[in-house]
Amino acid sequence: MKGLAPLFLGIFGTFAFSWIGLTVVPNWQIGHLNPQADEEGTDIYPQPQSGMFERGAHVYAANGCIYCHSQQVRADYAAADIERKWGKRRSAPRDYIFEQPVFLGKMRVGQDIANIGARAPAEQASSAPAGAAAPAASPSGGTSPAASPAPQGGGSVAGSPAAKQAPNPSPAAQVGSPAPAAFPAAPGGSPAASPSSPAPKAPAAPAPKAPLSSPSPSAITNASPAASPSPAAGAPWPVQTAGEPPMYSAAWHHVHLYSPRSINVDSNMPSYRFLYEKRRIRDARSADALQLTGSDAPPEGWEIVPNFDAKCLVAYLMSLNQSHPLNEVRSVAGAPAAPAPAGSPPSPSPAPAK
Amino acid sequence: MNATGIPLKEPAISAVAGDTEQLERAYIDASTRVPVLMFYTSAMAWLILGTLLAGFVSFKLHSPDLLSDISFLTWGRVRPAHMNVMVYGWASMAGMGTAIWLMARLCRTVLRYPLLLVAGACFWNLGVLLGVGGILLGDSTGYQWLEFPGYAAIILFVAYTLVASWAVLMFRYRRGEQIYITQWYLLGAFLWFPWLYAAGQLMLFVVPVQGVLQSAVGWWYANNLLFLWFGAIALGTAYYMIPKVIGRPVYSYHLATIGFWSYALFSSWTGMQRLVDGPFPAWMITASIAATILTMIPVATVGLNHHMTMQGYFPLMRYSPTLRFTVFGAMSYTVFSVVGVLISLRSVARYVNFTQASIAYSHLGLYAFFTMVIFGSMYYIVPRLVGREWRYASLIKLHFWASAYGIGLMTLMLLAGGFLQGSSMEDPSLAFSESVETVLPYLRGRSLAGLLLTASHFIFAYHFGLMLLGLGRTSTVPTFLNPVEAEASGGH
Repeated sequence: MKGLAPLFLGIFGTFAFSWIGLTVVPNWQIGHLNPQADEEGTDIYPQPQSGMFERGAHVYAANGCIYCHSQQVRADYAAADIERKWGKRRSAPRDYIFEQPVFLGKMRVGQDIANIGARAPAEQASSAPAGAAAPAASPSGGTSPAASPAPQGGGSVAGSPAAKQAPNPSPAAQVGSPAPAAFPAAPGGSPAASPSSPAPKAPAAPAPKAPLSSPSPSAITNASPAASPSPAAGAPWPVQTAGEPPMYSAAWHHVHLYSPRSINVDSNMPSYRFLYEKRRIRDARSADALQLTGSDAPPEGWEIVPNFDAKCLVAYLMSLNQSHPLNEVRSVAGAPAAPAPAGSPPSPSPAPAK
Repeated sequence: MNATGIPLKEPAISAVAGDTEQLERAYIDASTRVPVLMFYTSAMAWLILGTLLAGFVSFKLHSPDLLSDISFLTWGRVRPAHMNVMVYGWASMAGMGTAIWLMARLCRTVLRYPLLLVAGACFWNLGVLLGVGGILLGDSTGYQWLEFPGYAAIILFVAYTLVASWAVLMFRYRRGEQIYITQWYLLGAFLWFPWLYAAGQLMLFVVPVQGVLQSAVGWWYANNLLFLWFGAIALGTAYYMIPKVIGRPVYSYHLATIGFWSYALFSSWTGMQRLVDGPFPAWMITASIAATILTMIPVATVGLNHHMTMQGYFPLMRYSPTLRFTVFGAMSYTVFSVVGVLISLRSVARYVNFTQASIAYSHLGLYAFFTMVIFGSMYYIVPRLVGREWRYASLIKLHFWASAYGIGLMTLMLLAGGFLQGSSMEDPSLAFSESVETVLPYLRGRSLAGLLLTASHFIFAYHFGLMLLGLGRTSTVPTFLNPVEAEASGGH
């Protein structure tokens, strides 16, 4: 080689070629996707997350969940993911447009959890059906606040998510600007305070700034001691349903994080006890205390409660839900067995891409 | 040059030019002493730390309750800590140490501006320290291979700028018009790394790309780091060490040129094959699979070149530690690339994606290929820096065999385990936990391999420490693995 110039040019050229080819061109092709909406501009999917979800995603990153769990469902012709009931359709780029960081994952020592939130029991949280039908009411990603005790006016939020949320808040408020969705739900904010905050107004009021995302996450995970008449949401074991994968409640997640082998003896997931706090019971057992049995159970007079990070993590996990159909991806037959409300697209049936 | 009659000698030129050349080389070596030893010593410290973390990670994977109550020792934090210590602490620092020494030698000029390098080493150490601390305290960014939090990344970048500007300056002072093939690789590595690192950081953290493209950028970065940074340094080193030790020029310079440019062109396009069947346009993945297959061209040319250079000289591996490690590394480059092609084919990837096989692939590249070549170069360079020869041939042999068997066993365990794990996962009639059950015995085997590697690293660190303390042999003859007489008396 004679001079340096050709060497430099070659070194730079090969690098630039690869950089443009593998990052710039894809960015031009799929780097500016918008959420999908139906003709009326409602039923928007996906929706940005904030507040506890965002913090939960950071807990997820910090503790390396990604090194064992993937969040992507491969197509039925490529792999057995769908047969394993990890999802009803393959994941598509649009599913991830609001995620930062994105946790596709490269390892499955644990199950794929792209849809773990869709497998929450119906009375709780997002759920597959609601995801298909009416998550639009809450930019918090279809995590319906059903589990919330919601002592005040918010009681109206509880109950059938689909039915209550069908009358969407002004579509314009949502389509027009992502602002309300991105509303920062005070990650550090006192969770205990949220249920009694202005939250309950949200579903009824189309106010663009309505703190939509704030109440629901906390409602799911944080049954604040004072405000919780009902026991913590759901049972700490997966609810078995015929022909479907088991359902995972928030309580199940907490017990599983605290003591994975109490749920599945073969599991090799580490326990995350450092996200939980052991404390003496004061007046009554906290509503969010873990329902532990056997050797994991705390001594009499003590209880194990999740700290804020654990609650955020579970809120985040319960928000993982790709069950909403996408136009560009074919769903498996009968995809969302949803009580479709009037406004939603009647047919989630195969809509071939391209 | 050496009276023992072993054909381990300097290249022919030195015999002609005689003492001046030799003196000049000694002078250059002396000038590289402080910076190169600084990089090497730091690298060794990171290697030991990374090894301990690796053992911890490996054991925890099949014994998950070990120390799981402590947040900073949870598996999901120790694993990236191990990975980053090895990649940025050990491999990058040792690689830079070797590259600096080679640069000075090949530019045939004494090392200038050593303070740039000293400062670079200090900042780099600081960056890795902060980064690993950040990961353990829960500050990881969540992007594989780029887990270091922002504050650490900036320090690393500053440190790197110092080192790279030194390399460019050195090039201006070089003597002689010829640019040897090793310098191409080194110059490439020194320039590719900052572009790569900057592109990765910018597209993930400063102006983040949308959604899944973050994963694409992440794996593009990871694979290019493996090839254009570590691979380029290792290949450059092998191109220097093999001819140097056996005292024979590279077989074909023409082949070397083809090898370099095809390497730069094709290996930089790999990475997306790791995202096979993911939520991406199919062309991206197909392009990377094709590029991975095309990397067989540089593999073939480089492999052929090394093989033809070594032709007839393979018995020398009995004596020279440098040659033994370097040739092992160069052969592993072929294995690494072939495995890379196999696991990227869609029909195979269906099974091995999301399994331990991808861990095997990374270890083949970073350890069996890169680290072994660097070990070899350290056996060559360190005596020239401290003015002592390695003290115990037995320790070098132990180091080699523990490393070779360790990495071989680990790769086999992870590949076989990964394939079986994937097969169980692909069979929906089996419960998911079956796939984990399947792989557990292989993970225990991996832990065993890890013990071998741990032993080898401690042996090397001890030996290296002796050299640093000036406790090596004072001798003009390098330390050979086997005494020369042994061969005469019927060694086989």
